[in-house]
This record gives sequence, structure tokens and C-alpha cells, in this order.
Amino acid sequence: MKQNLEDLKNEFAHALETVKNRSELVNLKADFLGKKGKLNSILKSLKDASPEVKKSLGMKSNQLKEAVLAGVEKKMTHLELSEINEGLMKNWQDVSFRGSVRDNGLSAVGYHPVSIIQREIEDIFLSMGFEILDGPHIEDDYHNFEALNIPDTHPARDMQDTFWFSDMQHLLRTHTSCIQARGMETRKPPFKFIGPGKVFRCEATDASHEAAFHQLEGMMVGKDISVANLIYFMKTLLSEIFQKEVNVRLRPGFFPFVEPGFELDIECLICGGKGCSVCKQSGWVELLPCGMVHPNVLKSGGVDPEEYNGFAFGLGLDRLVMMRYGIDDIRHLHSGNLSFVSQFKAY
Amino acid sequence: MYISIDWIKDYVELPDLPPEELAVRFTMATCEVEEVKTTGELQEKVRIVEVTGIEDHPDSDHLHLVKFTDGKDSREVVCGAPNVVIGEKVPYAPLGTTFAEGFTLVPKKIRGVMSEGMLCSETELEIGDDDSGLKIFPEDTPLGISIAEYLGEKGDILFDIDNKSITHRPDLWGHYGMAREFAAVFHKELKNPFGPEWEKKVQSWFSNENPPVTIEVEKDSANLGFKGLSMDNITIKSSPKWMQDRLTACGMRPINNIVDISNYVMLELGIPNHIFDRETNRGGKIIVKRAGENMKFTTLDEVERDMIPSDTMVCDAEGPASIAGIMGGLHSGIADTTSRIFLEAANWVDAEVRRTSTRLGLRTDALQRYEKSLDSQMLEKTLYRLVELIKESCPEAAVVGGIVEDNMPEYTPLVITISAGRVCQVLGKDIPQAEVVRILESLDFAIAQDEDSLTVTVPSYRSTKDIECEADIIEEIGRIIGYDNITPASPMNAITAVRLSEALQMSRKIKDYMVYSGKSLEIMTYPMVGEKLLDKAFWPEKNEKLVLLNAMSPESDRMRPSMIPSMLNTASLNQKTWSSFRMFEMGRVYRQDEKEFSKERYQLAVVFYDKKKSPFLQVSDTIEGLMNSLNLPYRIITGYNKQNPLLPEKWPGRHPSDYLDIQVMGRSCGFITSVHPLVCRRFKIKGQLVMAILDLTDFQDKKMKDKTRYKPLAKFPSSTFDCTVVAESRTPVEDVVKAMGRMKMKELDWVKIVDVFQLSDDQKTITVRTSFSDPDKTLSGDFIREAEDKVVETLKKAGFPLKMS
Repeated sequence: MKQNLEDLKNEFAHALETVKNRSELVNLKADFLGKKGKLNSILKSLKDASPEVKKSLGMKSNQLKEAVLAGVEKKMTHLELSEINEGLMKNWQDVSFRGSVRDNGLSAVGYHPVSIIQREIEDIFLSMGFEILDGPHIEDDYHNFEALNIPDTHPARDMQDTFWFSDMQHLLRTHTSCIQARGMETRKPPFKFIGPGKVFRCEATDASHEAAFHQLEGMMVGKDISVANLIYFMKTLLSEIFQKEVNVRLRPGFFPFVEPGFELDIECLICGGKGCSVCKQSGWVELLPCGMVHPNVLKSGGVDPEEYNGFAFGLGLDRLVMMRYGIDDIRHLHSGNLSFVSQFKAY
Repeated sequence: MYISIDWIKDYVELPDLPPEELAVRFTMATCEVEEVKTTGELQEKVRIVEVTGIEDHPDSDHLHLVKFTDGKDSREVVCGAPNVVIGEKVPYAPLGTTFAEGFTLVPKKIRGVMSEGMLCSETELEIGDDDSGLKIFPEDTPLGISIAEYLGEKGDILFDIDNKSITHRPDLWGHYGMAREFAAVFHKELKNPFGPEWEKKVQSWFSNENPPVTIEVEKDSANLGFKGLSMDNITIKSSPKWMQDRLTACGMRPINNIVDISNYVMLELGIPNHIFDRETNRGGKIIVKRAGENMKFTTLDEVERDMIPSDTMVCDAEGPASIAGIMGGLHSGIADTTSRIFLEAANWVDAEVRRTSTRLGLRTDALQRYEKSLDSQMLEKTLYRLVELIKESCPEAAVVGGIVEDNMPEYTPLVITISAGRVCQVLGKDIPQAEVVRILESLDFAIAQDEDSLTVTVPSYRSTKDIECEADIIEEIGRIIGYDNITPASPMNAITAVRLSEALQMSRKIKDYMVYSGKSLEIMTYPMVGEKLLDKAFWPEKNEKLVLLNAMSPESDRMRPSMIPSMLNTASLNQKTWSSFRMFEMGRVYRQDEKEFSKERYQLAVVFYDKKKSPFLQVSDTIEGLMNSLNLPYRIITGYNKQNPLLPEKWPGRHPSDYLDIQVMGRSCGFITSVHPLVCRRFKIKGQLVMAILDLTDFQDKKMKDKTRYKPLAKFPSSTFDCTVVAESRTPVEDVVKAMGRMKMKELDWVKIVDVFQLSDDQKTITVRTSFSDPDKTLSGDFIREAEDKVVETLKKAGFPLKMS
């Protein structure tokens, strides 16, 4: 009897393998488990067996029943899957025809490289507690020159070739330092802010000169601010911008709105200071002007230079952009040429 | 400007450091040394030798193996010169010599034979133009001496100073002033050859005669002091070699003793001066005055120039002789026959002479110095030095009378009180007070101390403009201490919270949206445009008041009144390359304004282009999504026929039907339009161009409040109902949605269009889906049927009958 059950199990396993479709499977199930099925006919023949035998075989036959059911269900899922898949394959689509393969015209999307760098730097300053300000492009003489300690006759006015409007009172701002002048007027110290934006110079254009370009002005005013603070700050900032430890040095530089004024050099990032063609073998690259805010500038901004002082600096954004991406011609920036901007993909 | 280190060494002993090291330290403390040039190195290295033997090169028909001696050692080189002869004295460049072209001799085999250097021609030595063969020296030339020794040359080191780094330092435009800096930077003593003894020596040459030329300065001129002196018995000749060498090194051409002395003193003391032939002076007078009306004047360079009344001229009794501070006249120069001269040293108002120079386009070495604000106290010393050098050159020369002068200003020294503590605080370094005093004194400042307080008397030549206040004095100390010697330290700041301004948040949000949802590329275009482009774009507003006085070109001579012309131009450029594209710019436009001169608006311009299919709906979907993201109450209006303030009246670029007006709080502040084919044609744009402009300047400072409020999730299911109605072809589907707005029923959640199907040329069907729900219960079958009937009824009343199948 026991042997019969065992045989039946093997018979089922064998039969299951040969099943090809769902109706065969339904038949197979009936053939084994139906009222007149094979299992039942075995069980019927047990009618006269001893209770002990009945008990043990009953358990066995239940196990067999469950095994058959499980086998059928598993097979059923399998058959269903193959059938659906067959249908799905009829609706085959070419999944390799993706955006990167397809000609969709111009599919690149992204920010202008100046926007990318500007936002990156803005976020660094924001993380250090700086506000971000802007001002008008069309400035008056006062905010572009006078408030920055550049009086009428100052040679600095020669150094900056200014675009003037016919009233000779208004001009296109030649530097973002006007944002400094305006920022001070509306704030009480201590304060710190930056002013990124477009500036304009009446210069002949070439691969490295543009009449419209971008600067970022920064200023920190408070009590007892020192040159030591300025050096520390610039080192921290520039290390963050260049994403590596940057060494800086200050040397005297003349800018009417700061005193003392500095040219800030960074240790050449290409050769690490050993000397190469980029740094003209000096190991240092001139990066930005900075200095302690001139007392006259503080006064113009309504800040008492006896009580407060501070530092200020200017950063050429286009130069950073060109350094970062290896752009060879500054004139691409305002060209509106999509072949250029499409290289700076957001995704 | 070139500084000769040889010259500097006349006044200060320099530390024994390589020139590059000196240059770096000078750059760190005073001004930028752009380049260090060493002259005469080649001539120092190359020695004179005698040829002792010549053999043919085993492997060449024109090269020789030449043996020679310098008196001590013998060597052999390979040489191709045709004129090599035994017994001749020739120049030999040993291994390691660097030539002008930059190549350095290294041990090298020439066709298999080792050559220990090179025999040279005149051109290779930079001492002449003959390159036909070896330079041959006279028989009696001593063996082994260098070419420099033979020629009596000595090498020099030149510092090329970046002029921009000394615009604020009039005292550094001469070698003596530079020498003072070297002395301070390297802690050395500055020699003073121009002391009282020296003055006495020069004064002893003065005579009691009446000066033959007198000076008269008109008070309203640009003069700041004028001194002069007459000398007779001058012999014009060449100046000594050492002087010629220094002038040449500094980039000036030697001419004759008098002109050279004039230039030499300018390069030495930094004060320009003028020496002219007294024979050319009419009336024994120098009169300084403003140029009259219609004055013409021919300068030394033979150019006739138009002077204007605000220019200052140096004249004689009859007319102008030179343009003050800039250049002398053609006929007053020093000639070979000159024997009687007048020396003048004057000072001028920086801005005034610069203005004249800029107008004339005439920049001279003199002007370059005057525009830096020179010190009138230096004029006398300048004259003395001229006299001294002229006496050296022409011992027989005689001063006629003494110094004549006019308009010399009264001089009060500038005194600034500083606190030593403040110096330390601002620099962020503890500096002993004695060190502060030492540094200032080394720079010729006079100090009186009263505890922490220092009273500093500024030398006259530093107080013309450069030094004004305590901060300027702090800089002097900082740069000599060396900023490298200051230890960086973090500022101590109070904690403050900062966040992006509303405007910046909005601008970033717009850019983000346009990139990630609008799938566009951000571009930048020039804020300046030209009249031609505006005309091409049918733009009537020409911003005449915002035209630049000094534009680079007519194509960018004014501020743009709108982004549209720039966008059309850019689209035109790009459609040549791409069959479709999406781009945007966040930029400014500029409007002339009566009261404030100009007003700047910050705008978004969006341009989508496709060669074939109009991207209008993509633009409108993008703009709608963008407006939703900005939390501004907006409306997009179909069929808007009125004027939009961002467009000129009847602008032909506006499409007659593909147009949507965007309004925020009832104000038109943007639009979307297909660009009219007529305008596209003008810009040679073939294809479908859609443009949107959005000006949110008026709303950018409003706080973007997040008005989102959570509503409990629906507990009961909603029920939707679709029905298809018939409408005229050109009915905007939006009208169907609007019509449903008339059906007031609180259970109606929303109405949307599912499908549109064109039935015939003038009819289409629209499938409308409505959704109903009640927050408190499941809607009953009866209610739903009633609601559906109501929908059909409402649409029918609005002119959209149900489609009969």
C-alpha cells in the first residue's frame, strides 16, 4: 500500500513534466485528485485496513495530496506566465531606441556655465553666513566711483574704461564694487555679503577680454577685523572653491577702495608651486584683488571707521569658469550658441 | 618701467641674493617685478682664444676640428666657419653658455667628434651684424679675457616693473625712490649723495649776474611751481658710455650729452625736466598760461596740434614753446650748435595735464610721471642735479645767475597721528613699537612718540596723494613686515542666520524648473544691442536715451529694451545647426525713465523651436507648470486681443491665434506666442518658433509663502462620468471646462477634457470627464444618475449637445 502511494507520487511528478498547457494540467489534477481519481481509488481499497495502518497511510496520502496541489499550482503559474509572455512578445518594442540614440534635435538640457559656478560659489558664501545682493547694471557716477573713494580726478578712472551714457552721470557699472556701496547704505554693522553680477568695460574684445563679463564682490564689516582674518578667510574660501587645500599670499596692490590693498596670489594648482608654464615658473598665480576697506568707503556707506573696519575682495567669475572647464574663448559665454552651452549638461 | 640694479647699487648695498630672489621679495613688499632680465651674461662667459691647429673633420667636407688655447688650457671644437686661420684671436663660448635665442651649449658630438663648445660670430655675440664668419680680434688682444672685459662692458640686472602697480607711487618713478624702497625692504642704509654739502657745491657755481630768462606763471594755469636756470658755454657732444648704457638699459635712446642728462635725471629722481636752447626763447621770458582760442602748436614729433583754452602752455614773450607737462615744441630743441641753454623743472596738476594728453592722444615719459601727482619740493633738487651733471660733462660750462622761479607753493608737511596698538590690531600681528618706528624711519617718515601714540610726519614726495590717513601708514608697516609673516586667524563673528533673498530664490526656482521640467538650455546674450537688430525685429522702441557714448560697435551701442530681438537673433543662429531646441535666458531689459534715468526689469525669455511641428503646447505646458511652482495667483488667458505691455503695439511678430496672455493679480506680465512667419522670415528662421516672455520683477520681492494645507484623505470613493459632446471646430476646449463652471454642485470635484476628435472640417467632438464625491458618504446610484443628467444638461445649454452615436 505504502509502495502504491510512493509510485503514485513518482507517476505524478513524471506526468507533471509532460504537461504542455493549462487544460492538460486541469485533467492531470482530476486524474490524481478527482473523485474517481487515482488517489481516491487507493484510499477506497483501504476500507478494511487496521486503524494503525489507516492512520499512517492517511497521513501519507494527505501529504501526497498537498504535494500534488502544490505541484499543480506551481505548474499553473509557470504555464500562465509563458502564455502571457507569448502575448507580450507579440507586442515587442525596441527598448534600445532611447533618447541617447534617437535624434531629437538638441536634447541636452542644463545651466549656463556661469550660472553653475556662480551658484556653487554663492552656496559656499551662504554656508559661511554671507547675504547675496545685487544692484543695477546702469549705475550712477556716485556708486561706481565716488562712494568707492575714486574722485573725479583719480587715475583709477583712467584704468577702467567705462561705458558712459550721454548725460555723463550714468554709466554701465565697471565692477561689482557698486553693490558694496549700495549694500552698506542699507545695513548696520556687523554685516557680510557678496554681490555677484555682470559688469562692463569698454575694452577691445578678444579670446580673453569681453565688454560684458561677471564678477563677484565680497565684504565683511565688523569690529577689530584684521589682515590676518582676511588671509584666513580667503584661504578657507578658495580651498572650498577649488576643492583642495590652497595656499595664498598677499602682496601690495593699489585699489582706491581698500587700504592696505593687496593682490592675492594662489600657489599654482597645476604644479603645486614648483613652477610651470601656467605660473610662468613662479609657482604663484595672481587671482584676485582684496584689502581692508578704505575708511572713506566706510564713511560713504554710513559706517563709522573709528568703530568698525572690514575687508573686501573681488573675484572674476568668468576666469574661474574658464579655468574649471578649460574654455578657450570668453566670447562664447554671451554668444547664445547652443553648441557651446549644450556641453554643460545637467543630465 | 625698467629699473637698473646697477644704478640702484649707487645708493644702496644689496644683499647677496640671486636676482630672482631679490625680485620676489621686492614684489612682496613694494611693487610687481614682472620680469628679471640679465644683460651682458653672454659677453661675460665668452673668452678670447688663439687658434693653434686646424684639421679636417674626418666625416665632413666643410667642418674643421679647431684646436685653440686661452693661454692656459687647450681645447678642441668642431667649427664650420670659413675664416678660421691658425694664429687668429677668436671668441670661444664654453659649455653652459646661453645664447640670445635661448639655447645653451651642452657636450655634444658633431658627426662623431666631441665638441667642447663653440667659436662665435659677431651676431652670435650680439655685438655686431657680421655673421659671415668668426669674429676676429686684433693681434694684441690679451688671451683669456672675456668679451665684456674686452669691450669694457659690465653686465646689469634689469627689473621690469609693472607700471600699474606704481600708479599711486609718484616717488617710485625714479631710481633714487626705488633705491629707498630697496633699502627699507632689505634693511640696508640708503646713501644720500644729495645732502646739504652737495647743495652748497652746486650753489657755489651760481653767479651774481642777472638771470637772462625770467619766469611768470599765470595763477589760473595748471602749474604747481616752476623753477629754472640758465647756463652758457655748453658743448654738445656724446654723453659718457656709462650714462648711455644706463639710458639704453631703461629703454631710452642716447642723443647727446644735454638731452641724455635731462633724461637721466628724470630716470634718477623721477622728476621730468626740460632743457632748451636759449636762442629760441623770444624776449627773455617764460610765461605759463592757458592756451588761447584757436591755438595751433607743432610739437617735437613734427605734428601740428590743436590746443583748446583749458590746456596749459609754456610760452615765451611771443608764443607757445611747449605743452605743459607733455612735450616741447619743434624748434626749441637742443641742436649740435647749442651753447646757451635754459633748464626748467616744473610741476603740474595731474588731472589737467592728463586730460590734455588724453585728448591729444599723446603720452610721454614726462606725462606718465606728472599724472601721478609729483612733488613740487623736488624741483630744486632736480635743477641742482642737472647742473652737476652738465658741469661734469662740460667743465667749462657756467651758470648765469642763479635759480629763477614763480608760483612755488607754500609747503606744510602732512602729519598723521597713529596708534601703535591700532597698527597691530589691523594687521593682526603683534609688532613691537620700536619696529614700527624703525620701519617708518627707513621710509623717511619722521616720528615723535608719546606712549602708544605716534606722530608721523610724511615726506613731501609721499604726501601728494599716496599717503592720506592712518590706514596708509598701516600699509607701509604691513608690507615691510611682509604679509607672509602674518599668521592667518579666523574672524570672530556673531552668529547670524542668512537665507537667499526672495528674488534670488525665485530666480533659482525658475532656472531649475526650466532645466529639469522645461528640458531647456540656459543661454546668455549681450545686454547691449544695435539699432539694426531692433529694426529687423520690428521693434519701435529704440532706447535712445540708453545709447552708450563710447560703444564698441553699432551692433551693441545701446541697452536692450526687450529680450525678444536678442532671442530671435539667437534662434536664427541655432536653427542652422539643430532641427529642434529649447532654450531660455534669465536676463535684464532696460527702460529709459524720466525720473530715475533707467529702470531694469528681470525677465525670463523662453524659446522652443522645431523644424516641423509647432512646440506651442510644450511651451504653454512648461509655463503653466512654472507658474504653478511659483505660488503666484496667475491666469493664462486664451483669445486675448488687448495690448500686452511687454510688446509694442501691433507688433507683427505676435501670432493672430497662437497666443496666450499671462496675468498675475490681473496684470499682464507675460505671454506665449508663436512667432509670426513674417518675422521668422526676416530672421531667416525656417520652422516653428514659439516664444514666451515672463516679467515677474514686480513680484520677485514678495515672500513666497507655502500655502499648502493638508486635507484628510477621502474616506468614500469618488465617481467619474465621461460624456462626448459636439462643438465647432475652432471652439477652444477650455470653453467646455468654463461652461461646466456654471454647474454649481458641491459634489463636483473637477472637470477635464479626455479626448478631442475632428468630425469634419467644422465640427469636432470633445470627451469631458467629471468627477463627483462626498466627504461624508458614498454617493448613491440615484444621485450619480441625477448628476450625470445635470452635466449633459449644462453642456447642452452652453451649446455643446451630446454626441448621438
